[in-house]
Amino acid sequence: MTRLLEPRAIGMPLERLDGHAKVTGTAPYAFEHALRDPLYLYPLEAAIARGRMTAIDTAEAEALAGVVAVMTPRNAPRLAADDDQELWLLQSEGIHFRGQLVGAVIAQTPEIARHAAALVRIAYEAEPHDAALAADRDDLYKPEQVNPDYAADTDEGDVEAALAAADVAIDATYTTPMEHNNPMEPHTTVAIWEGGVLTLYDSTQGAHSVRTTLAPVFGLAPDKIRIIAPYVGGGFGSKGTAHAHDVLAGLAAQMVPGRPVKFALTRQQMFWLAGYRTPTIQRIRLGAGRDGRLTAIVHEVIEQTARFKEFAEQTATSTRIMYASPNRRTSHRLAKLDVPVPSWMRAPGETPGMFAGEVAMDELAVACGLDPIALRIRNDPAADPQSGKPWSGRKLVECLREGARRFGWDRRAPNPAARREDGWLVGMGVASSTYPAYALPGSRATIRYGEDQRYVVRIGAADIGTGTWTALTQIAADALGCPIEAVRLEIGDSALPHASVEGGSSGINCWGSAIVAAARAFRGQHGAAPVPGAEIGAEMPEDPEAQRFAMHSFGAQFAEVRVNADTGEIRVPRMLGVFSAGRIINPRTARSQFIGGMTMGLSMALHEESVLDPRFGHVVNHDLASYHIAAHADIGDIDAVWLDEVDPHSNPMGSRGIGEIGIVGAAAAIANAAWHATGIRIRDLPITPDKLLA
Amino acid sequence: MKPPAFLYHDPRSIDEAVALLARLDNARLLAGGQSLMPMLNMRYVLPDHIIDLNRIEALAGVRQIGETLRIGAMTRQRDIAEHPLVRSRLPLMVEALGHVGHRQTRNRGTIGGSLCHLDPAAELVAVAANLDATIEIVGPKGARLLPMAEFALGFMTPAIAPDEMVAAVNLPLPAARHGYAFLEMARRHGDFAIVAVAVVLTLDPAGRLATCAITLGGAAAVPRRMAEAETMLRGAAPDALLFGRAAATARAVDALEDAQVPGWYRRQVAETLIERALATAHRRAVAANGMAS
Repeated sequence: MTRLLEPRAIGMPLERLDGHAKVTGTAPYAFEHALRDPLYLYPLEAAIARGRMTAIDTAEAEALAGVVAVMTPRNAPRLAADDDQELWLLQSEGIHFRGQLVGAVIAQTPEIARHAAALVRIAYEAEPHDAALAADRDDLYKPEQVNPDYAADTDEGDVEAALAAADVAIDATYTTPMEHNNPMEPHTTVAIWEGGVLTLYDSTQGAHSVRTTLAPVFGLAPDKIRIIAPYVGGGFGSKGTAHAHDVLAGLAAQMVPGRPVKFALTRQQMFWLAGYRTPTIQRIRLGAGRDGRLTAIVHEVIEQTARFKEFAEQTATSTRIMYASPNRRTSHRLAKLDVPVPSWMRAPGETPGMFAGEVAMDELAVACGLDPIALRIRNDPAADPQSGKPWSGRKLVECLREGARRFGWDRRAPNPAARREDGWLVGMGVASSTYPAYALPGSRATIRYGEDQRYVVRIGAADIGTGTWTALTQIAADALGCPIEAVRLEIGDSALPHASVEGGSSGINCWGSAIVAAARAFRGQHGAAPVPGAEIGAEMPEDPEAQRFAMHSFGAQFAEVRVNADTGEIRVPRMLGVFSAGRIINPRTARSQFIGGMTMGLSMALHEESVLDPRFGHVVNHDLASYHIAAHADIGDIDAVWLDEVDPHSNPMGSRGIGEIGIVGAAAAIANAAWHATGIRIRDLPITPDKLLA
Repeated sequence: MKPPAFLYHDPRSIDEAVALLARLDNARLLAGGQSLMPMLNMRYVLPDHIIDLNRIEALAGVRQIGETLRIGAMTRQRDIAEHPLVRSRLPLMVEALGHVGHRQTRNRGTIGGSLCHLDPAAELVAVAANLDATIEIVGPKGARLLPMAEFALGFMTPAIAPDEMVAAVNLPLPAARHGYAFLEMARRHGDFAIVAVAVVLTLDPAGRLATCAITLGGAAAVPRRMAEAETMLRGAAPDALLFGRAAATARAVDALEDAQVPGWYRRQVAETLIERALATAHRRAVAANGMAS
């Protein structure tokens, strides 16, 4: 068993250590670092979805006062590696998607740069493009694996025979639309090229992962690139990998050595340059006995990727572990389109997959005449159905029961459309949540005892608004056995010891483990009363138990939905999430994460939809006026609680990660509640008022 | 500065503004700026000249002339909503203004700007249509008056020439004892209406409907008066069944379709809102006349 920390600081609702700096505006975000003599970049973007540029006229732009340089494929510095086509910028005239970065203006002010960019004339030779995802395409293909490294397909037992023999069967298709991450801080990079060293003040979820990605692209040794990102205004996965804007800023910086080049995407540009969640078409078939016991589970997914780069969302992987059944099949098929490349968006895979899966379970409960909670409990597997390994701690049933008790589930009428209050139909719904406990390798921390009798804890971790500054300080304090005030944390810089990316809800697990290892090594080497200057570093150790256990977090989401009988307007007055995610390091920041995830799930359920016009290959509602994200007025009483527990197998903190599970299942709970309110089953997100009147 | 470069002009009189309009090519008038400024920032419009009307004092103000309310084009929406004459004689306007954007945008936004922008979902456009407003237009050849029905030419297209501007809107006041309702459904409060409905009605001494005006906003390219329903209601004894039948005429509306709202849904919501608005307006009219409901 992993040697667990004794919890003193961890588990306490410490206020954010960076809170004061943030609310007083003194915490520098990427664009805000005070640098001497900055220049400003405005990009040139492709106006067609596929083809090539045949002529670029930059004369008028170059003649404009204040323009320092106009960069196009003709004069851009050369890049070194083309493995990642998203980052292979300005090296050819080819166009892969509408909005692709094809050049840049560098100028004395942002206004001049933008104005000059509008003066550049580009002629194109367009080729027919294809941007329409459909289930009946004849060119769907099976990817070698799905994100991050799962098998594309699984098949166990004989699902067809089991379905044919099932007493009760469900066969339905669910769709989720293209959705876009919209962190408050836009994707931003300030690049400086000086003395053969590239420095990026970047808005990123991983200083080291950006460095690792960009070094071969620019043909630089990793120690010739430095990424600085102490404060990041949200990411949700869209800042988890380097995107093209990082490269464009780096190229521009090479053209003006020594001068900082500032580049922030506009909100509109974030709709094609920063990744998105692929639309999905998911067919689910369930077979069960009259008692609701599953005999077959089939989850077949169709989704899209870009022709120039593959990203395969792992939409069906949660189905592989959720419920027991002797016969199970999952598959992923992709369409290659002339569109921007999809990427990570909060719980990629689980979020769309559990929408479909958990609505299907609700449908099965109806078909079997069972309470949806009872159906889930009946199919709770004793061990991981996929690997056969024991769970490190699966407490889905406890979450469902605790949630039912708190939410007043016993007051729910068994039949739909049974409650009507003043013209509003009222219903309740439930769905399960899950997310894997990932442990990414390679994080390292150093600890140094300073003259000021404080411990300087250094690791290149990221705080994207989640509370890393605070939570890691708490972990370090407990690992060192010292008060919070005796810890001075340094994060957000690739010059610090290597840290894995803030992704897969793994940050605190990995960075915390490295800090605990360093603290234990420090005490082992330097004892309880170190001399100033004492220092040691350690890597996150491999968890020997990771191979023995299936480690996943679970949760239960409950929603009350009101639907106006005349207009179909939808309100969600109440939501509750009950989560089992191992130890919670900081209840205050954790609650924000859970509630934030659930809010994003509500937003997905009711509002978010990127409308891609296949004629042009771009998102028409590319702004926050027409791509609505749930605001305060959309949110009623929303609460998140968790089981008081510790995962003894995951890591020294006993934590499993909390960043993503809050969104998983939230949309299904709302869709199930909308069904219970109205009797109308919505299988296509978002649930807009017209769908409830159709 | 976020918008593209332009030359800025700030005339102090209507004459000066009209002279600038006549002289300048590709000029835009800046009123409250609550639509134009975002459009400039997003580069949906690229004017060479901006003529700022905010310093022309003669363009602002509310005045009663007989049984008409004359509101200057540059009168702020907030000032209209708080004006005693408007509050006492035209509560429909106050109710409608509650749906216009947000407090901050109403502080700047003007009635003339809204009418000239002529967004199909704009509340003030629907109110003007419902009251049979007359628009005062000035240009190099002097002033002219245009009924609202002719002013709203088509989708975001007012019937004014490039060298003309709106100086004021004249709103005929309903009878002192009238009933009214302004209802709207939008994705978010302050957003463009999916459908908005304006109703003004009066009762005869017997409690029958003497006059009735119903206007749909947001449903079509320009505000749509529900003439068939109005005819059906005029002279009739009001009841829920009749209101339902009148509302059902919305099923014939050729409603706008967009990426997020299907036309049939607009029609269905229009029917619901008309029915609700008629009931509310009738209830208010009964109360205003001191009748027993």
